[in-house]
Amino acid sequence: MLRYTVTRTGLAAVQCAVVLVVVFALTSLLPGDTVDAVLGEQGTPQQAALARAGLGLDRPAAERFVHWLAALCHGDLGRSLVTGMPVTEQIAGRLAATAVLAATALALLVPLALGLGVLTGLREGSAADRGLSAAAIALHAVPEFVLGLLLTAWLSLDLGALPATAAGLMGLDVLTRPAVLILPVTVLVCRQLCDLARQVRIGIAEQRDGPVATHLRLLGVPERTILLRHLLPGTLAPAVQQFARCVDGLLGGTVVVESLFAVGGLGTGFVDAVQDRDMPAVQGYALVFAITAVVVNLCADLAVRGLTPRREGRA
Amino acid sequence: MTSSFGRRRLLYGAGAAAAATTLAACGLGGEDGGPDSGRSRLRAAFSAGGSQETLDPHTVPLFIDQARAKALYDSVLTYKDDMSVQGRLAESWESDRSGTRWHIHLREARFHDGRPVTAADVLWNYCRIADPATVAVSQQLFAAVDFEASRAQGRDLTLVLKDPDFEFPTALGAPGTEIVPAGTTDFTRPIGSGPFRYGSFRPGGNALFTAWRDHWSGGPHMDELEFVPVNDERARLGALLSGQVHYAHDLSGASAAQVTRRKGVSLLQTRLSTMQAILLRLNRAPFDDHRLVEAFTLGLDRKALVEVALSGRGTPGNDLFGMGLHGYPDSLPPRQRDVDRARALLKEAGAEGLAVPLETSDADPSWRNASSLIADQLSDIGLKVTPHTRSAGTYFGEIKTKGVAAQSRTATLPVITHLRSRLVTGASDNLTGYRSKPFDRLIAQATGTRDDAVRLELLARAQRLAREDDGQLVWAFSDWIVGHADSVGGLRAAPPNSCDWARFDRARLS
Repeated sequence: MLRYTVTRTGLAAVQCAVVLVVVFALTSLLPGDTVDAVLGEQGTPQQAALARAGLGLDRPAAERFVHWLAALCHGDLGRSLVTGMPVTEQIAGRLAATAVLAATALALLVPLALGLGVLTGLREGSAADRGLSAAAIALHAVPEFVLGLLLTAWLSLDLGALPATAAGLMGLDVLTRPAVLILPVTVLVCRQLCDLARQVRIGIAEQRDGPVATHLRLLGVPERTILLRHLLPGTLAPAVQQFARCVDGLLGGTVVVESLFAVGGLGTGFVDAVQDRDMPAVQGYALVFAITAVVVNLCADLAVRGLTPRREGRA
Repeated sequence: MTSSFGRRRLLYGAGAAAAATTLAACGLGGEDGGPDSGRSRLRAAFSAGGSQETLDPHTVPLFIDQARAKALYDSVLTYKDDMSVQGRLAESWESDRSGTRWHIHLREARFHDGRPVTAADVLWNYCRIADPATVAVSQQLFAAVDFEASRAQGRDLTLVLKDPDFEFPTALGAPGTEIVPAGTTDFTRPIGSGPFRYGSFRPGGNALFTAWRDHWSGGPHMDELEFVPVNDERARLGALLSGQVHYAHDLSGASAAQVTRRKGVSLLQTRLSTMQAILLRLNRAPFDDHRLVEAFTLGLDRKALVEVALSGRGTPGNDLFGMGLHGYPDSLPPRQRDVDRARALLKEAGAEGLAVPLETSDADPSWRNASSLIADQLSDIGLKVTPHTRSAGTYFGEIKTKGVAAQSRTATLPVITHLRSRLVTGASDNLTGYRSKPFDRLIAQATGTRDDAVRLELLARAQRLAREDDGQLVWAFSDWIVGHADSVGGLRAAPPNSCDWARFDRARLS
C-alpha cells in the first residue's frame, strides 16, 4: 500500500506539471495578448509597445514560463498583468465564493445520491425506479446554462421566490444572503446527482439478488443490516471513483454557474483571465484547479484501494 | 469583510450555508441588508470584463471605469448629448485669435480633503495624460500641448498648443481626463472633486462611494452609490428584474423587450448612440481596388440589418460617424442598395465569387446575426463573405493589424475627435488605411478656422469626401439601452460619454 501511495503521489505531481505546461502553451497560442485586451481600440502603437515592454510581454513565451516556474518554486504566483495585484491575493478573494458553492453542493449531493441510488436500486424495475431514472436521464440531457436560465426565469422572475443572481456579493458575503445560493447550487447538484445516483443504483441492484445477499436472507438477517453491512460497502468503491469525477464536474460547472448567477468566484475569475490573456492569473487558476482535481482523484484511488479486498499474491 | 479566511470560518460558513439553503425558501430579505440599511443606496450593475480594476481615471477604458470616475472626479469640460462641450470645472474657456493659446478659468471647487482645485492641479493632470508612459486613453488629445510654455496661476490656466486648434476644447471633456490632486500616485483610496467620495473598492468586486454634500453642484440626493460588476448580460437583466440592482447598464434588444413587459422597471433608450460599421482595409488586397469597396457598399441592405440584427432598436447608417451629433453634415441622401450595379462592379474588377473573411466577435451582441446577414446580402452580388469569429476580450486590439474586413463599433464622441483619430492619414486608429490629401487639408483648415459656421462647413465638406471612399461602411447606429427600477427618479436617456450618461448624483431614490 505504501509503495502504491508513493508512486501514485508522484504521478499526481507529474499530472499537475503537465496541466500547467499545456495550459500555458494553449493560452500562448490564443491570438492576441493582454495589451490587446486592455488597450483595445485606444492606444497608439507607441503606447502598446511601452505597455508590452513594461509587462515583459516582449520576451519569448518559453522564457516567461521558466521565470514563472522559478517564482512558483518560492511560492510566488506573480502579479496579474491586468490589475497588477498579486495573483495569490486575487485568487484568495475569489476562492471563498466557489468553496461555499462547491461545499454546499457536495453536502447535498452525497446524501441525495445515496438515498436515490439505494431507493431505485432496491426496487429495480419498479414504477418509482423507472420514473426516477427517466427523470434523471432527461435532467442530465439539459445543459447547465439552459437549466440555469429556465430555473431563473421560472423561480425568480415569474414567481419572485428566489433572488436571480448573487450580484454584488463577493467572497463570503454570499453567506449574508444564503437565498442567493439556492439556484446556483441546484443547477450544480442536478447534473452531478444523476451520475452519482446511477452509479449507486447499479451497485445496489447488482448485489441485491447476488449469492451473498441471498445467503444472508436465508439466515434471517434483517434487510436493513444486509443493506448497511453488505450492499452499501460493496457499492462504495465504484461510487467513490464516480464521486471524484463529480468533483471535477463541479469545478467545470462553477464556470458556467458563476457566470450565469454573477458569483465572483474562481470560475468567472478564470474565464476573465483567459479573456484578458492574463498569463500569471490563468496559470494561478489552472494550478488551483489542477491540484484540486488531482488531489481528489488521488484520494479516491487510495480509498478504492483501501476498500477493495486484496486478492492472493498481490502486494 | 476581510479577504483572509481561516479554515474555521470556512467550515462554519459552509455548514451555515447548507443549513440556510434548506431554510431559505422564505423569500428575499430586505433590499439592503447589512449594517448600512436605513441609508439610501443606489446599486448599479455594469459589465466589467477586461477592466484593469483601478480607480486611476486616466487609464481606464471601459464604461464601468468611466462611470466610477464620473462619480469620484470632475473633468474640466463635459459633453452635451450632441457632443458639443459645456463647462464642468471650467467657468469659461476661450482662445486667442491664433487658436494656439487657450485660457481656462476654473470655478471654485474643492477636493474631498478640502484642498481647492487649482489650475496647477489641472496642468499636472494633462501632463500626466500626455506622457506615453502613463498609457492614458486620451493621450493623443494632448499630444500637441506645449507644456513648457503653458502656465497655471490660481484658478487660471493657459494652455499653449504647437498648432492652431479651435476644436481643442473637445479634449478637455473627453473620457479619461478627470482631475485628481497634483502629484497623485496612489489610487487605492483616491481623492477627487466629484459628487461622491471613495468608500471602499475591491478590484473585481463592488465599489461603494458615499455622497459628498460639499460638491459645488450641491451634492447627490442619496447617501451611497454602489457599482456592482455583472459581466453576463442575462445576469444583469436578472439582477434588475428581481430587484437586486436599481440600474442595469447596456442591455440587449431582447432584454429590453422583457423590461417593457414588466411592472416596476423601465427603459432608458438613447437613439443614435453607437456606430456599427464594417471597416475595409484599403491598403490590402482585395479592397485596395476601389470598385470592390463600392460594390460592398452598394450590396448592403441597411434597413434589413437594423430590423434583424438590432431587433429594430437602431437607425440605418449612412457611411459616416456621428449621425445627429454636432458637426455631422445634414441633408445626405440615404444609401440605396443597388445589386445590379454592385454585380457589374465586381465583374469589371474580375472579382466574382471572391472569398472575403469578415472579422467579428461577441464584443457586441448584434454582430453574430449582423455578420451572417451581411454574408447573405453580399452573396446576392457575388461575394463569398465568411464570418471569422475572434475572442471578444482581445478583439479590438487584434483588428488593428489583422484581417481585411472587420466589424467595429464606436460609442458617441465628438465628430472632430473621430475624424482626427480615425480618418486622417497615419492617425493612430486609422484602421482602414484611408489616405486622402484633400481630406487631411480640409481637416487642418477647419481646426485652424476661428469662425464656427465656416469651420462646420469645412468639416462637412471633409466628411462628404471621406464618405465616398474611406472604407468605413456604417450600416447602423444602435440604440443604447439601460434598464432601471421605477423607484429611481432623475435619470434621463443620454448617450454614452455625455454628461448625463451614468450621472447618479442627480438621481433620486424613493
